[in-house]
Amino acid sequence: MRLGAFAKAGILGRGGVALLLIAALVFPLLADNYEISVGTGILTYAVLGLGLNIVVGYAGLLDLGYAAFFAIGAYAAGLLTTKAGFTYWETVPASMLLAGLSGIVVGYPTLRLRSDYLAIVTLGFGEIIRITATNLDYTGGPDGIWGIPHPVFFGYRLSTQRDFFYLVLGLLVLTLYFVRRLAVSRLGRAWLGLREDEDAAEAVGVPALRVKLLAYIMGALWAGLAGGFFATRLGVVNPQSFTYLQSVLILIVVVLGGMGSIPGVILGAAVVVGLPEVLRSIQGWRMLAFSLGLVVLMLARPQGLWPMRGRKVAVPRESPRPARSEIAAPETGYEGPLLEVEGLRCSFGGLVAVDDVGFAVRRGELLSIIGPNGAGKTTVFNAITGVVAPERGAVRLAGVPLIGRAPHAVVEAGLARTFQGIRLFRSLTALDNVLIGMHPRLAVGVVGTLLHAPHVKREEAAAAATGHFWLDFVGLAGKAGHIAGELPYGDQRRLEIARALASRPLLLLLDEPAAGMNPSEKGALMRLVARIRELGTTIILIEHDMNLVMRVSDRVIVLDRGRCIASGPPDAVQADERVIDAYLGRDEAEAEAVEAPLGPA
Amino acid sequence: MSLFLQLLFNGLTVGSFYALTALGYTMIYGIIRLINFAHGDLLMVGAFIGWTLLTTVAIQHIPIAAAIAVALLLSMAATGILGLVVDRFAYEPLLRGSRLSILITALGVSLALENGVQLGYGAGFKAYPHLLPSVYLPVGGASLGVTQIGIFALSLALMLGLYLFVHRTAIGTAMRALALDQDAARLMGIDVEGVIRLTFFIGSALAAAAGVMMGLYYSEISFTMGFLLGIRAFTAAVIGGIGNIPGAMVGGMVIGLLEAFTAGYFSSRWSDVAVFGALILMLMFRPRGIFGERVVERM
Repeated sequence: MRLGAFAKAGILGRGGVALLLIAALVFPLLADNYEISVGTGILTYAVLGLGLNIVVGYAGLLDLGYAAFFAIGAYAAGLLTTKAGFTYWETVPASMLLAGLSGIVVGYPTLRLRSDYLAIVTLGFGEIIRITATNLDYTGGPDGIWGIPHPVFFGYRLSTQRDFFYLVLGLLVLTLYFVRRLAVSRLGRAWLGLREDEDAAEAVGVPALRVKLLAYIMGALWAGLAGGFFATRLGVVNPQSFTYLQSVLILIVVVLGGMGSIPGVILGAAVVVGLPEVLRSIQGWRMLAFSLGLVVLMLARPQGLWPMRGRKVAVPRESPRPARSEIAAPETGYEGPLLEVEGLRCSFGGLVAVDDVGFAVRRGELLSIIGPNGAGKTTVFNAITGVVAPERGAVRLAGVPLIGRAPHAVVEAGLARTFQGIRLFRSLTALDNVLIGMHPRLAVGVVGTLLHAPHVKREEAAAAATGHFWLDFVGLAGKAGHIAGELPYGDQRRLEIARALASRPLLLLLDEPAAGMNPSEKGALMRLVARIRELGTTIILIEHDMNLVMRVSDRVIVLDRGRCIASGPPDAVQADERVIDAYLGRDEAEAEAVEAPLGPA
Repeated sequence: MSLFLQLLFNGLTVGSFYALTALGYTMIYGIIRLINFAHGDLLMVGAFIGWTLLTTVAIQHIPIAAAIAVALLLSMAATGILGLVVDRFAYEPLLRGSRLSILITALGVSLALENGVQLGYGAGFKAYPHLLPSVYLPVGGASLGVTQIGIFALSLALMLGLYLFVHRTAIGTAMRALALDQDAARLMGIDVEGVIRLTFFIGSALAAAAGVMMGLYYSEISFTMGFLLGIRAFTAAVIGGIGNIPGAMVGGMVIGLLEAFTAGYFSSRWSDVAVFGALILMLMFRPRGIFGERVVERM
């Protein structure tokens, strides 16, 4: 049995995990019935907490109605055993499946909402489920369902506190086994990316809605599992067990323990279930003491009792050299221009930001877009990448129309970008940032992750090697394990480029990559751009630094007030009267613009 | 028709309670993006303070109208201060941290208030003294209570006062500035923490007013009265458009009417399903609420 979760936390080694498991196995032999039942409560909440942790801790979606999935699992087990003659074991997949399906029902209509609204909607969903169970005759009304049989295990009927402790311990180990795999998978990284910055995740190729929905489903499964156990243990299910307070307690388990931290969640369950029991001696005061204790604990440790740590990243001794076919821009076989933009028009309210802009980019070319602040340069990028919907116009990448595609689908088509204001996943490691950028190029799905098939391991190992390569490529070789938000400014810019390159784009859009860089960093950037072009990647560059633009560009187009006013080779554009008037300026001003360009807007 | 009118009157009365409570939610969420789960419980505390004043002190010595006014004002002041204290000691240290840890803190405060009041006053219902005249005006076959008119009028006056305060005074302008951009507001010399505390004071005082009026209207209160009411009031704030003061008022009325009509034409057992169902539909089809939210996304 692998309980890698603890090992990865870095404090407990593999031996520690084994000891913990042995302690859990021996505990019921030494403890009395009351203690065992408290232990069973802790383990049940640990299962629930691990499930909710997927939704809240990984994907960053606030769920205040999680008890609804618990209820659905419990009612499913209750109804199936009492009315359809199922055994407990047969209800387990049914409870999980039903809870998972409910995850889709609550998730699908609400996923476009801001996370705070999600909180209130999930709360409402939880109440609707509870009230419905109370009001329907089929579910036994307020009295619920009685006479749910205990499980029979190879002829042995589970009935004592000890039996149920071992059963829930088994369920917890099962949960840990799968949850742990999800946490370090392609899907798990996508969840973390969403939690950090949803727009950025979508813009680097994570299909946000689908991935969020998967978080709901994967989270709900474990509540269904715990619900079925709850029903068979007590022999009765009624609506009072699934109040709003139940959802809150499970949420407290996750946040108090440490969001996203598996050992934290288990510790949180121990505190939430154990503390009121410890306080039993003070009778009436215990809930007050518990709630005040909760406030004090959150104030003292806002990040939780056992916070999630960044994964330890082993930097390879020799930088990996993936085959060129792993890193170079793929061939398309398309004969025409790589990118064609025609008659693009975007407006916000009454303001026309981009009007009738059209251009084409040949494969391998480097096109720069220049123009004064507010000329519409970034809006052109946003329209091409699906972030804003243009009013009119067409965009085709290698012949494939892009308008109407969601940003992640644009990335899948072969287009990657960086942002004018850096948008990294700040609390993740540099390597994880790059790996999330590889999301559209990886294939492993949720089933493969759960089964941990051999091809999954191979893909993960290859992905990590390629990730290290990209970090090395942009000059961040030794910094794979550093937290992105703590890197110096220039490194963050480079990391953003590495993340974009990781999707192996046909076309890379760089939005003011040199902004805020000093001259030597700019030199390094120019060399990096040259090496990106060697990969066969086509580049569109927005930049204010004319020196840089004139040196690296094959062609330049100039935007002013949303319109294209000039286009051609750098020298010709530089000499164009209209461009000088609109942007470059004359005399002293001209010298200034070339020598000391302004930073970003 | 008479049933319809009766439900309309009842709905607007209950809606007044929701509207007053929703104002606190919407102001606090607008400024610090916190769903203050303790807000409904502050209403409950306000109701208990009012009960204490009315049953023990004021009632024996002064006329009824004056007693009610005194109880209302003192309860508002005391609950307002309690809200401010909660903000200062439980929320303020976490304002710069994770939004979930502050949310859990709010849940902790909510539990603490409920259990504290339960310890102090006992778990049973407390009967509010019958102070208001049971006078009803016949309107189209339904009866409109004088009490209902009074509650509606007083709520409207408080809401109007708040609206004018937020839109016509320097401090109100500071509040709106803070809702838009806290850092910029600080750079302009606004005492950010002070304004937040004031917002908690005002929100809690309005909730206390609703609590005392609920006690007088329903004649009984209990320590559990606040929580679900608070959740419905937050729903009202979302339906009206979070951060939007007129939106909270209208949202409160909508929730009150929805509850009354579901109870009248269907069954009160389903009224919460109707409320939350309406919320989900609202968010699916008009996610910014009736009047549009006044919240700035922070990127």
